[in-house]
Amino acid sequence: MAEEKSEMVVQDKKEVASGKEPTMPGKKYVPYTDIVETEKELLVYMDMPGVDRKKVDIRLEKNLLVVDGQIDSQTYGDLKPIYSEYNIGHFTRRFEMSNKIDQSKIEARMNDGVLLLTLPKVPEKEPMAIQVN
Amino acid sequence: MEDIMFTRFSNAFDTLAGIQNAVEAARLSDYFGYSTTQRGAYPFINLFQENDNIILTAEVPGLKKEEIKLEIKEHLLRISGKREIAYPEKASVHRLERRNFNFDRTIKLPVKVDANKVNAEYKNGILTVVLPRAESDKPKSIEIN
Repeated sequence: MAEEKSEMVVQDKKEVASGKEPTMPGKKYVPYTDIVETEKELLVYMDMPGVDRKKVDIRLEKNLLVVDGQIDSQTYGDLKPIYSEYNIGHFTRRFEMSNKIDQSKIEARMNDGVLLLTLPKVPEKEPMAIQVN
Repeated sequence: MEDIMFTRFSNAFDTLAGIQNAVEAARLSDYFGYSTTQRGAYPFINLFQENDNIILTAEVPGLKKEEIKLEIKEHLLRISGKREIAYPEKASVHRLERRNFNFDRTIKLPVKVDANKVNAEYKNGILTVVLPRAESDKPKSIEIN
């Protein structure tokens, strides 16, 4: 049969699955995320189309990394939808971090709907040599 | 129907709800029939109407605006582009969900468009194309003598 072409696979948006019902109408989605690790840091890339740089909230609570992205639903103010293939909604995702992260040095950049988080790892302490007098 | 369901929410979420309704409707309708590439085409698009304009939006995060190509002819709009994801060298991968994509889609619009007045914007990973209806395509009212 035909070879599988990964770039042609259509990726549908994934809605957040939670047992709780929100009080506000509207959907929330899970941003597609890549995580890679280099020697010094952990890099997290998230696809969040429609989210402005100023509308991203990133928190690290102990080992839990929480990322929330709000879209501007006013953009489509008075427009009448006539044909639609995708839904819009806010983005939210949380990760349990296994590495020790230096919280004070976390950097975040938002470019064309992609969030890049740079999480520097805490350098491991070098064994201390104790001199015997 | 949809109006009755959502009139209780008197805020911006009306719009969200409207879009979501339209999604459900589009799944069931054959509005575009065989004219556009069938479902499964990428990128996904939404179409809105604002007076005589048709507004198209598509979510294509992580591209440069130079990498998106738009062509228009009468009522056909072609969108193409490519995303290539790059990571630093010597990086070990923990999780890969984002995809490289390579898209080329032609969309048949419900009206003829004035190609000279089309306006496109790429912001925060969303492509928005404003397509004004061609004068020649607008209905003319005829006075009865």
